[in-house]
Amino acid sequence: MDDLLADFIAETREMLEASGGELVAWEADPTDRARLDAIFRFVHTVKGNCGFFDFPRLANLSHAAEDALADCRAGRRDPDSRLVTAVLAVIDRIVLMIDTIEAGEPLDTLGPESADDVLIDALDVSRETGLDTGGETGSVGLEETCEGSDPPLHAPAADLLNAGDEPAAPARRSDSHSAGAAPATSGQRTIRLPVELLDRVMSGVSDMVLARNDLAHRLRQAGNQPTIDGPFERLTTILSDVRDAITRMRMQRIETLFSALPRLVRDLSAELGKQVMIDLDGGDVELDREMIETIRDPLTHLIRNAIDHGIEAPSARLARGKREIGLLSIAARQSGNTISIVISDDGRGLDEERIAAKAVATGLITEAERAAMPRDKLLNLIFEPGFSTAETVSNVSGRGVGLDVVRQNLEKVGGSIAVRSHPGEATLFRLQIPLTLSIIAGLTVEVAGHRFAIPQSYVEEIVQASAAALDFTRMGETALITFRGNRVPCLMLGAVLGLDEADLVPAEPTLVMLRLASGDLFALAVEGIHNHGDLVVKPLAPAVMRSGLYAGSTLLDDGQPVLLLDVANIAARHQLLAEARTRVFVPHAESHATGDGATARAMLFTDYAGRRAAVRLELVQRIETAPVAAIGRTAARARVVIDGVILPLIGLPDAPLTSPRVRLLRLSDGACELLYAVREVEDAVELTEALTPVPEDPLAEAMTLIGGAPVTLIDAHALFALHGEPPQAAERPRCILPEGEWARAILAPLITAAGYDIVPAGEHDPKAVGILFEDVYEVAEALGRPLPERVIRLRDQPDAPAGCTTIYRYDRDALMAALAEASRAATRNPAAGEAA
Amino acid sequence: MTGDLLVIVQIAGRRCALRALDVKSVIEVAAVTPIPRAPAWIAGITALRSQALTVIDCRRAIGPMEGDWPADHRAAVVAEGGHSYALLVDGIEDITTSVGEAGQVPGGFGPHWSRIALGMIETMAGPALLVDLPALLAGPEAQRAEIEAAV
Repeated sequence: MDDLLADFIAETREMLEASGGELVAWEADPTDRARLDAIFRFVHTVKGNCGFFDFPRLANLSHAAEDALADCRAGRRDPDSRLVTAVLAVIDRIVLMIDTIEAGEPLDTLGPESADDVLIDALDVSRETGLDTGGETGSVGLEETCEGSDPPLHAPAADLLNAGDEPAAPARRSDSHSAGAAPATSGQRTIRLPVELLDRVMSGVSDMVLARNDLAHRLRQAGNQPTIDGPFERLTTILSDVRDAITRMRMQRIETLFSALPRLVRDLSAELGKQVMIDLDGGDVELDREMIETIRDPLTHLIRNAIDHGIEAPSARLARGKREIGLLSIAARQSGNTISIVISDDGRGLDEERIAAKAVATGLITEAERAAMPRDKLLNLIFEPGFSTAETVSNVSGRGVGLDVVRQNLEKVGGSIAVRSHPGEATLFRLQIPLTLSIIAGLTVEVAGHRFAIPQSYVEEIVQASAAALDFTRMGETALITFRGNRVPCLMLGAVLGLDEADLVPAEPTLVMLRLASGDLFALAVEGIHNHGDLVVKPLAPAVMRSGLYAGSTLLDDGQPVLLLDVANIAARHQLLAEARTRVFVPHAESHATGDGATARAMLFTDYAGRRAAVRLELVQRIETAPVAAIGRTAARARVVIDGVILPLIGLPDAPLTSPRVRLLRLSDGACELLYAVREVEDAVELTEALTPVPEDPLAEAMTLIGGAPVTLIDAHALFALHGEPPQAAERPRCILPEGEWARAILAPLITAAGYDIVPAGEHDPKAVGILFEDVYEVAEALGRPLPERVIRLRDQPDAPAGCTTIYRYDRDALMAALAEASRAATRNPAAGEAA
Repeated sequence: MTGDLLVIVQIAGRRCALRALDVKSVIEVAAVTPIPRAPAWIAGITALRSQALTVIDCRRAIGPMEGDWPADHRAAVVAEGGHSYALLVDGIEDITTSVGEAGQVPGGFGPHWSRIALGMIETMAGPALLVDLPALLAGPEAQRAEIEAAV
């Protein structure tokens, strides 16, 4: 929350800085429409932002100013110097409030709320009465406070403020010395750099990476040269460090933007009496920091619109046979030089007729143009300036300032926005934001002798199987495969690119499952997959971009240039982009069942002992690659950290690893997971030959032939029995600890390690095992206080008095035995009594 | 314009001139990666150090040309609109200086050539057609319209 607040303050300040010139210019010429619009947007944004921070005073002020300016924009009122003064007074006031908020003071230090009303009255917003009565009250409001002030239009503003609240300014001044204001000034040390400089450094580093790759290739060709290889390795490490740092300098995960959204959605839907569920996807897409700032407002505007105008009230939804809770999903994907963000809601959709009527009424298009306009084009009129279909102006989404500003902001950075909608079903906004130069993770695929790169962010999974196993079918021109029980459209890359006109399906296609930002899944059939790695994406010449198939180019390690496929565009051209997440074909149940007829499949690999082995494919969750540094070998069993989770690791050689990275098969039995280190992953294969049991090897299920060579099939049962981490019991026994530092610091870890949950202080659990010190126990017993059913008593002295059932507090074995006994007693007879 | 350095190249059997200032370098064309579904006058992309160049077949970029022309193993590298291109020509001949302004010839150069020509220029090595790079790199009009229709 603090971060958000800091962002809000910084943003408001920045906008003020930017619009400072506009303010002055507007003051000089109040009829200047462009300035008016700029200032209108400022107050509009402030209003929007404080709506979600709960600063009602700030919201009231900005809303009032916005109303007054909206009247001017709509021509209901002429901006005169009086209005200018009043608006500037409000803006000055907003600045004061921002300062106060930043210092962490309540806004009350700026004086009572009534002081704001004076300013609001001065704006003299009276939308019902219009222009004529407005003049009077406005002049009264101003004359009261402006006495004695002379023409410079800013002066009244200052007077107004001082009249309203004398203590404000001094209070702020003294604050800047107090401890409360310190955090605002003594944050992380930062410097500001021109983005252009960062760009230059970044592109320099990208070129260095490519030059290094080139050099690496030449070194490989020249053979082993120990005197060069060492320094070269060092260069590589340094370069990758520098590149990481440089990338981070400009990049930020879009998560930082997404993290604020659930709260925004919650607040908005509460305010509007709607129920909305938000679904965020692709938070790990990295985006230029500056770009994140650019899309922050557009995104907020679109979400507001979706909740305010798109998603219906719960009762209306139920009446239409929809779920009561509306779904708002936001997904980000990176594709070469663009990031696409899709915001879709399953609300009422856009009303084509109303948009058309409005567009004709406002003179955007003529009746004749309207008649000839296709629906898609018509819908996109909503981005025209001054367009809004909402009949009631609400506090939330305003009056159409949103969408024209959204488009303007995006176009400023070379992006675009488009909308698609199904009436009554869904609306989908697709934002495209460019990334002039970037390093992305990509996959290289091959088809008909050509290589192409695919951005990793789209790749859901790689599937290799026989056409029969995939249930490959053709429906007219479209090919379908069955993937995890869903029918998924399949494109032949060769046919898409016109390389392979025969359009034949190989018997064993390699399918790259691609998930679009809209959530649609499709398969791309290729002939082979080469490798994946970081790709430096460079823009393509416009004539090549026009083909619509490529998003950029990149150089492989061997210096060969390859083209990066524009996955989103290819999907769109083949009409694979559904308008909402509704297109999921579930095939008939019988084809879903994995009957006996289906051949078992296994993942073939070579382990570190050099043995070719296979593990049943159902067990393999994923193929991971982990740096050696992530492997911990301190315990008897090696463990590795993947995605922040510690997992057991087997299959490592005893000798230290020479490669910097290890390929790991992530196996799962549904409950627990383990990783199997392999030297090389070969392929997914079908187990067609007979399985011969090997009783002498406990870890082998059988031997079989794959491609004529013997392969050991790993016995999953034995593997998990030996190495699988037992899942944490859903309900662990609980234990009540004595009070005091010793129990918390020394006893608690021991108890937790023994598999007990500690009952938090203040909570009563009659089934928990109680551990008490002898003296406490005696007192409690003497006073007749309620005691846990099972109690373990501890004593301070090592030597026990005869016939005593207490345990010395450092006698670990006895303590463990007592605990085990207690929990056994609990399972045997839950109502059993004391077991100490 | 007199005294400007010009690179003289042969395109489709005609002598053409490129401003030497526009030509960044002349490279040996290594492997060219073709671009499926790109217009025919785009031969592909190739790598120059860490850069990717779009390879333009000038003969086809001018328009539908009759005949089969030899191709030089070298290409002229030019930059336009922030992108770098390698121009495939019949042959790269010489660098020379101009001895006059670019001018028109009676009867013109024909529709295809006129699109990419700034005019005829007299050089120390004889007359040559001064090439309008942006027009050349925009590709043949007809083909461009075709692609736009397809998009």
